[in-house]
Amino acid sequence: MKFDTVIIGGGLAGLTCGIRLQNRGFKCAIVSAGQSALHFSSGSFDLLNELPDGTAVTNPEEAIHSLDKKHPYAKIGDKFPFYAQEAKQMLLDAGIDVRGDSKQNTYRITPMGTTMPTWLTLADFNPLKSSNEVIGKKILLVNIAGFLDFNTKFVADAFEGNGAECKIISISLPEFEKLRQSPTEMRSANIARVMENENTLNALVSQLNEKAQSFDVVALPAVFGLSSPEPIQTLKQKIKTPVCIIPTMPPSVPGIRTQKRLRRVFELAGGFYMLGDSVINAEIGDGKVYNVSTVNHGDIALYADNFVLASGSFFSNGLCASMDGVAEPVFGADVDFDPNRSTWYNASIFEAQRYRTFGVATDEHFRIKVNGKIQDNVYAIGSVLSGFDALQEGCGAGVSLLTALYVADNLKK
Amino acid sequence: MNMQQYNISDNNFEQCIKCTVCTVYCPVVPVNPNYPGPKQAGPDGERLRLKRGEFFDEALKYCLNCKRCEVACPSNVRIGDIIQLARIKYSKSKPTLRDMILANTDIVGTMSSAFAPIVNTTVALKPVKMVMDGVLKIDRHRTFPKYAGQTFVSWFKKEAQAKQDFYPHHVSFFHGCYINYNYPQLGKDLVKVMNAIGYGVHLLEKEKCCGVALISNGLINQAKKQAEINIESIRKSVTEENRPVIAASSTCTFTIRDEYPHLLNVENGDVRNAIELATRFIYRLIESGKVQIKYRNTEKVRIAYHTPCHMEKLGWGFYSIEMLRHIPNVELVVLDSQCCGIGGTYGFKKENYNTSQGIGASLFRQIENSGAQFVATDCETCKWQIEMSTPYKVKHPISILAENIDFEETQKLNK
Amino acid sequence: MKDFNDKNNEFDVIVIGGGITGAGTARDCALRGMKVLLVERFDFAAGATGRNHGLLHSGARYAVTDKESAAECIKENMILRKIAKHCVEENNGLFISLPEDDINFQSKFVESCHAAGIDAQIIDPAEARRIEPSVNPTLIGAVKVPDGSVDPFRLTLANIIDAKAHGAKILVYHEVIEIIKEQGRVIGITVVNHKTKETHKYYAPLTINAAGIWGHGIAEMAGVKVGMYPAKGSLLIFGHRVNNIVLNRCRKPADADILVPGDTICLIGTTSSHVGFDEVDNMRVTSEEVDLLLREGQKLAPALATTRILRAYAGVRPLVAADNDPSGRNISRGIVLLDHETRDGVSGFATITGGKLMTYRLMAEWATDLACKKLGIDKACVTMSEPLPGSRGEEPLPKGKTYDLSNRIKRSTVGRHGDMASKIASDNEFDNSLVCECEDVSVGEVQYALKELDVHNMEDLRHRTRVGMGTCQGELCACRAAGLLSEAHNCAHQAKADLAKFLNERWKGMYPVAWGEALRESEYTQWVYSGICGMNKMEEK
Repeated sequence: MKFDTVIIGGGLAGLTCGIRLQNRGFKCAIVSAGQSALHFSSGSFDLLNELPDGTAVTNPEEAIHSLDKKHPYAKIGDKFPFYAQEAKQMLLDAGIDVRGDSKQNTYRITPMGTTMPTWLTLADFNPLKSSNEVIGKKILLVNIAGFLDFNTKFVADAFEGNGAECKIISISLPEFEKLRQSPTEMRSANIARVMENENTLNALVSQLNEKAQSFDVVALPAVFGLSSPEPIQTLKQKIKTPVCIIPTMPPSVPGIRTQKRLRRVFELAGGFYMLGDSVINAEIGDGKVYNVSTVNHGDIALYADNFVLASGSFFSNGLCASMDGVAEPVFGADVDFDPNRSTWYNASIFEAQRYRTFGVATDEHFRIKVNGKIQDNVYAIGSVLSGFDALQEGCGAGVSLLTALYVADNLKK
Repeated sequence: MNMQQYNISDNNFEQCIKCTVCTVYCPVVPVNPNYPGPKQAGPDGERLRLKRGEFFDEALKYCLNCKRCEVACPSNVRIGDIIQLARIKYSKSKPTLRDMILANTDIVGTMSSAFAPIVNTTVALKPVKMVMDGVLKIDRHRTFPKYAGQTFVSWFKKEAQAKQDFYPHHVSFFHGCYINYNYPQLGKDLVKVMNAIGYGVHLLEKEKCCGVALISNGLINQAKKQAEINIESIRKSVTEENRPVIAASSTCTFTIRDEYPHLLNVENGDVRNAIELATRFIYRLIESGKVQIKYRNTEKVRIAYHTPCHMEKLGWGFYSIEMLRHIPNVELVVLDSQCCGIGGTYGFKKENYNTSQGIGASLFRQIENSGAQFVATDCETCKWQIEMSTPYKVKHPISILAENIDFEETQKLNK
Repeated sequence: MKDFNDKNNEFDVIVIGGGITGAGTARDCALRGMKVLLVERFDFAAGATGRNHGLLHSGARYAVTDKESAAECIKENMILRKIAKHCVEENNGLFISLPEDDINFQSKFVESCHAAGIDAQIIDPAEARRIEPSVNPTLIGAVKVPDGSVDPFRLTLANIIDAKAHGAKILVYHEVIEIIKEQGRVIGITVVNHKTKETHKYYAPLTINAAGIWGHGIAEMAGVKVGMYPAKGSLLIFGHRVNNIVLNRCRKPADADILVPGDTICLIGTTSSHVGFDEVDNMRVTSEEVDLLLREGQKLAPALATTRILRAYAGVRPLVAADNDPSGRNISRGIVLLDHETRDGVSGFATITGGKLMTYRLMAEWATDLACKKLGIDKACVTMSEPLPGSRGEEPLPKGKTYDLSNRIKRSTVGRHGDMASKIASDNEFDNSLVCECEDVSVGEVQYALKELDVHNMEDLRHRTRVGMGTCQGELCACRAAGLLSEAHNCAHQAKADLAKFLNERWKGMYPVAWGEALRESEYTQWVYSGICGMNKMEEK
C-alpha cells in the first residue's frame, strides 16, 4: 500500500493532522490501535492553564513565552496564536461547534461541580467567565435515576459553596427500565443512545418543563448527543429554562461524538482509517523510514513519504514503561526520561508527576531520533511528545491540536 | 524464557485498564440487558473465574462473537476470545437439537441440497415455520437461506475442474458451506474472475465447514476435528502444491486464521499468511502491477459497502473497498462500520431475534439513506440479514467484479 | 475523678486495639458475659492485621525452627476452618525445593511437621506441577501441607459483629491519649474521638492492651515497659490469582518465599527489616524491596514475571524483643501475655501481644482467661467451637442456572459475607447495580456496609466490601462509592474530601510498582480525577 503520509494514532492529534493533510491533497492512512482518549474527554479543550511552576494562566498566548524551550509550544513559537486560531477553525469546519479564545481562558464545570480553566468548549456546555457566575442562581440539578456516574450532590455542594441555591431531583423514564436491568450498563453512552429516541427526549423535556419552572437554570448530565448534536439542540430549544450540561464520569458522550465526527470528516476527505490495527515493524535506514507493517496487513506493508507518530502517552501505549526505562514501541524512537525510577512519581496523586513529562525526543521540527539519529521523514505530535505535563499544565488538547497542524503544514510531498 | 507458558491463564486480560470503551461499541449491550457486556463478561469475569469456575455465567452465550470490542479496545485485550474461551472452558450447558442443526451447516447442507426443492418449500411453509419456532426455537420470522439444487462442488467438478490446470498460476479455494450449498453462483463468479487474471482454481483435498457455527454453539470437539482436517489440507496446498488459499467469506477466513489458534488451539502459524480473502489477493496483484483488469462498459451504479464484523476485525475492508473503487463505473458509499445483528446462527435463535433486529436497526436506516442501488458485503450471513430486513439486494464484491470484468480482454492482458 | 453518675462509661473490660487480637478478645470477653468496651484509633484491621499475607498457616513454616508455634498453628488452623469458614479458603500449600535448595532439608521438614501434628506429605514434582500448574517447573521436591488463605478483614469484622451482638461497645476512630491510674492501678482510659475531637473517659477494673506494635506506646502510658521489636514486612499484590495452592520454599524461613492466593488476587512476601518506632505509622515500600520480592517470587511461580502488580504495602510485626537478632526471624512468634500486676506491680492492666493472625483466637482465649481470673468470673471459653457470624447458617447462594449477572454478584457477596449476605438487599435494579466492577460490589452491599458495619469513610468501606481492591484500584468505583457515602452521611463535602484521600491512599500503594499496565491505569485514573474532575485543584481549597 502506498500513501503520502501514514499516521500512527487516530486520536485528536492523528485525526487533526490527517484532516489537514487530506485537505492539502495528501493521501493519508491512519493506523489506530483501538479507540482514542477522546472517549474520556471533558468536552473542553485546554490550551494552557498553568505554568510548570504552578503559576495560573489567564492568557495562554502571552504565557507561552515563559515556557522552557523543550516544551512543544516553544517549538511552535511565534506561530502559536496562528495555530490556535487554525485549530479552532478546523474544529468548526468539521462541524464541531466550539467556543473559546486563546487570549482568554474561560471556565468549564467539572463533574464535581467545581470549575477549571479551559480554552475551547463544545457547544453542549456553557463555559463560565468566572465561578462567580452561579452566585444567587436557583439551579435545578437533575439526574437520571440509577445513573451512578454523575453525582448531583457533589455538584450541588460546589455550586452552593459558590453562592447558588440548588434543588436535586432524579428522573425516571420507562424507556430506561430495560437498561437498568443490567447491573453494569446504566452508563453515559448507553443512556445517550436511549435519548436519541425523539419520544424519550420529549418525555424528558415535558417533565423538566413542569419541574424547572421556578428555576434560573436546569443542570443535566452530559448524556445527550452520541452520534449527532441534535438531542442537545432539541433539549436547549424545548426546555424553557436555560439548560446547563455538566460532564459525567467517563465514557464521555460529547467526546465520543467528537471522535466519530473527526473520523468521518477524515474519511469523507478521502483518508483511510484503520481501526484496531497496530504497527509492529518499521523499515528504517539512512535516517528515514521506508514503510511500516501492521498486525492486520501482514506482508502488505504501508509505504509513505512521511510518517507521523501520534500514538499518545502511556495510556494509549504510545509510551511503554518498564521497571527501568521508558520506550517508544513503534519506531524505537529516543525517549526523554530519567532512568532512576524513584524520581518518576510524586507521593501525592494530585501533584505534578515527573513520569508524565517523559516522551519522545524531537528536533525543532518535531522529527524523531532513533539511536541519536534524526529521522528525516518521521514526525511526532501530541501526547507522545516530551517536555510537558498535560494534566498539571492543562495543555493536553492544545499540544495535540497545535503540533498536529504545525507538522501537517510543514510536510512536503 | 517465555514466562507466559507457565501461567494458568493467558495474562492478556490484565492489559484491561477498565476504560469501558468496549461496552460503548458492543452491539448487544444496548439491546439485551441480560448480557453483562464485554468488559464484565471478558476481563472482569476472567479474574473471578480464575478464583473459581463457578463464577462463570451462562449469559455469556449472548455474546455474538463479533469482536467489535477487540477492535475498539485501546489496550489490545482479546475480549471476544476471552469470552468464547470461557464458554468453552466452563459452560455446562449441552447444545440443544436446534443448536446442533444450526451449527452443522455442512451436514444439514448436504442433506438439504439433495432435496433442495422440498426443503426450500418445506421450510418456507407456515406450519413448518411454526414447528421450527415452537419446538426448535428457531425464530419464525427468519427466512431460511435457500438451498441450491446443485452444490458448487459438483458444478465445479463437472464444469470447471478440467480447465484449471492450463492457467499459469494456481490457487486453492476454500469455498465454505454457503457457496457450496446455498449460493454456488458466487463460487462460479470467483472462478471466473481468477481465471480471467490467469489463475487456475482448485479445491482443497478435503474441506470441512470452517466451524464458526460449531464454536459459537459450543460443539468444540467437532470444531477442532474439522479445523485439523482443514489445516492439514491447507498445509498440503501451500507447502506441497505451492498454492495459496483464497476464500470469499470474511468469517470463514477469520475463523481459519485467528480462531483456530486462539480458541481451538489448532496451530496454523506456518500457513496463516497464505490464507486470505480473494479481494486482498487480487488487490495485491493489481497494486504490484502483476495483473491488469479490463472492465466492460457497464452502467453507472451506486453501491453501499457494509463492513462485516469479522472483516472489521481482520482490518481488510480496505481491500474490498479499493477493489470496488477500482471498477470505473462504481460509485461507492462506505457505510459506518457496525454490526448487522445476525452474528451467524445467533440471530436464528428465537431468544435472540429481537436483540438481533435491534442491533441491525441503525445499519438498516443507514442503508436506506445511502441512495445506493444495492449493498456490497463480504459475509453471507450479513447478506441474509440485510436482505431480510431491508428491500435491498446484497452482492459480494467478487460477484460485482465478475459482472464488470471484461473476461476475454482481461484474460488476454494476463496471459 | 471517676464520674459515678454515668454508668455508660463503666465496663468490666476495656480492650485497646481493633486488630484481630483486640476483636477476638472483645468477642471472647463478651461471650463470657463481661461488659466490654473496645477502642480503636482508626478502623478495624488497620495495622498489622490488614497488612500481612492472609495465610492460613498450617504451621509447617515454623515446624523446624519453632515447634511450639507450629503446633499452635495447626490446631488453630483446624478451628478456623470450622468457626470462620466464610473467611477461609482451603487451598492447601506446597513447600517446594528448587535445584538451589538442599533437598535433605525436606526429610527434616516433614519429620518436624509430623512431630507438630501437621499432615505433611511428600509428593512427586510431576504431581506438584499437575495440581499447581503455576509452580516453578524446575522443582526437585514438593511437600503438601494443609495451608490455606484467610481474609483478615472479614475475620476481624466477624469477631466485632459477634462481640457487638453480645453487648460489647465498639468505638472506632477513638484514640487512647491517657491511661487513667489511681494509686498505681489502672482504672480506665481517656480517648479522643477523631471525628468530633471530643475526649471521653471510660473506666474498667481491667484494661487489656491489644494494640499490636502500638501497644508499646500504650504500655508506656501506663508506666510499664514492654520491649517491642518493630519488624517491617513488605508484600506485593498481583492483579489476579496466578496460583490456587499456597506456594512456599522448603527451607528455613527467608525473604519473599510465600505466594498466597486470596480472593481474586495473590500476594508474595515478605521482606523483613528492623524499623524505628517513628516509622511504624508511615510504612513505605522501597524499590529495592520491590525488586527483591519480584526476584524471589518468580522462583516460586515464574508467571509472576509477566503478571501485573497491583500494589505494594508493608506491615509491622509486633514481635516482642528477646535478643539482638538483626533479622528478627529467630524471635519466637509465640504468644506473649503480660499480667502487669505480677510483672510490674501495675494492677488493672494486661498486654496481649506477639503471636500472629493464625493464633488470634488462642491469644484472645488467654487474655480472656486472665480477665476472668481477675474479675472472678468462672466461665469456660467457647470460641473454639462457636462459629462466627457469617459461618453459621446456609449461604444464600443462587440456585440453578441464571442468565444474567445477578448470579455472579450474589456469589461474590456470599464469598465476602457468608450467611450474613442474606441481609444485603437485592430486590431491585438499583440494589443490584454494580459500584465496583472488578470485585462485583453492588449498591446493595455498599448500603449494607454503610448501615451496619461501622463504615465512616471510603477506606472502611474498602475493608468491608473490597470496593477499590480490584485491578482498577478505585478508578471507576471510587467516585460511585463516594456518592453513596455522601448519600448515607448526608455530607457531600466530606465525601469528596474522603474520595481524594482514598485515591491518594491507593496511589501510595501503586507508585512503587507503577510501570507497564499499572502505570497506564494510573495515568488514566489521574486523567479522570485530576483532568476531568479537577480534583487536583479541589484539594488546595
